[in-house]
Amino acid sequence: MTLLMLVLASITVLTLDYHGEVSHGITHVRNGVRDVLAPIQRGIAAALHPIGDAFAGAFHYGALQSENRRLEQQLGSLQAAQAERAFAARQAQSVLALAGLPFVANISTTPAEVISAPTSNFQYLLEIDKGTGSGVGPRMPVVSGRGLVGTVTGASGSTATVRLVTDKSSSIGVTFGTGRRSGSAIAGGQGYGEPLLVQQFSGPLPSVGETVFSSGTDGGAYPAGIPIARVTSVKVAAGGLTTTVAAEPLVDLGTIQYVSVLEWLPQP
Amino acid sequence: MNLRSWTRLALVALVALVAQVSVLDQVVVHGAHPDVLVLLAAAGGAVAGSQRGAMIGFVIGLVADLVLPTPYGLSALTFVLVGFAAGAVRALPGERSSRGLQVATCVAGGAAGTVFFEALGDLLGQPGMLDRQGAVVMLVVTVGALVLAAPAVEALRWVVSGADRSVTGHAVPSGGSATR
Repeated sequence: MTLLMLVLASITVLTLDYHGEVSHGITHVRNGVRDVLAPIQRGIAAALHPIGDAFAGAFHYGALQSENRRLEQQLGSLQAAQAERAFAARQAQSVLALAGLPFVANISTTPAEVISAPTSNFQYLLEIDKGTGSGVGPRMPVVSGRGLVGTVTGASGSTATVRLVTDKSSSIGVTFGTGRRSGSAIAGGQGYGEPLLVQQFSGPLPSVGETVFSSGTDGGAYPAGIPIARVTSVKVAAGGLTTTVAAEPLVDLGTIQYVSVLEWLPQP
Repeated sequence: MNLRSWTRLALVALVALVAQVSVLDQVVVHGAHPDVLVLLAAAGGAVAGSQRGAMIGFVIGLVADLVLPTPYGLSALTFVLVGFAAGAVRALPGERSSRGLQVATCVAGGAAGTVFFEALGDLLGQPGMLDRQGAVVMLVVTVGALVLAAPAVEALRWVVSGADRSVTGHAVPSGGSATR
């Protein structure tokens, strides 16, 4: 009896989440929880990034084992310090790269830091430390110094959730080539570690090594001209009926730490 | 379960949620991370039996749903069934309150719960469920469970200890009631 009641209660909650007004209420509660958890996540992220790098530096020290423990410790300390400096340099480089994004033209940007990896094992989302309080809202594109990262899908006062381009529900209109050799297609995410699948071509096929850019024509979800991925394979099945084109995202989505949110919304 | 147990459950759920989003979510292996919340649901059943396990699973599930992008209630439904199923193991003949069995049930519950979550999510049209990555997720959650199951069981033993002495080391005789 208890089981039945709890199952029915769960199904009721699930059903209510699909109902407009109640769904808004649930979203508000979820955003509130995000706001409460954000400072903790931010603190942990700030603590773990440099420590992880320092440990990584020390871990690779093996090849340089010295003769005695004292020297070993000294070298280890130096290497840890070096790893920290390298980390700081990389951070500075990432932030500087965001300062002069060539592909965003005159669109205003909001820099943000990634504070959490995906909370779900099944959807590829990141949490960033800027939300509606900083002008970040749903449907805004997110980029890094190398290209497109994803789209904001939800935002609380101090954080926002970004759906990565590799998420299976991600679909982007892309263009490639120049002049008469240009074409367009749709690039879709295939999940963690998988390249984007480019399909529905209009015009010629892209070549291996070619970069695909947002076309700005897929209902205007992204501004045109943002670099997205590099074509890694073009396979045409026998008879030419099926073409499979894979493209690797330009941004290393697994290690990304700083991003810029474009203050740009799709046209209604 | 009395008020003290519910208060303890709320505290455990809160601590687990913070640990999940701030630490465990960062431990990413092949795109998947360990999940302590599903383990708490399974531990609830393993420690407190089917009925209370289902209730504990429901509460933990509602808390888990607060930080997940999936529809609200999906984890609650999954965890209710996980808690109930884990509790059913206690009905099997033998020593019911053995820590080893509870931890093993918790690990198995975590793996089964992950698969069930994927199946339900797929049924509801959620992307990325029940595919090759789903198998990786189950593997990572199971490996993580080998480390996290024992603390999860201890936490749940503490939660229910105020209401049920049988889980504090006093085994209930075979065929007897798990509740007093």
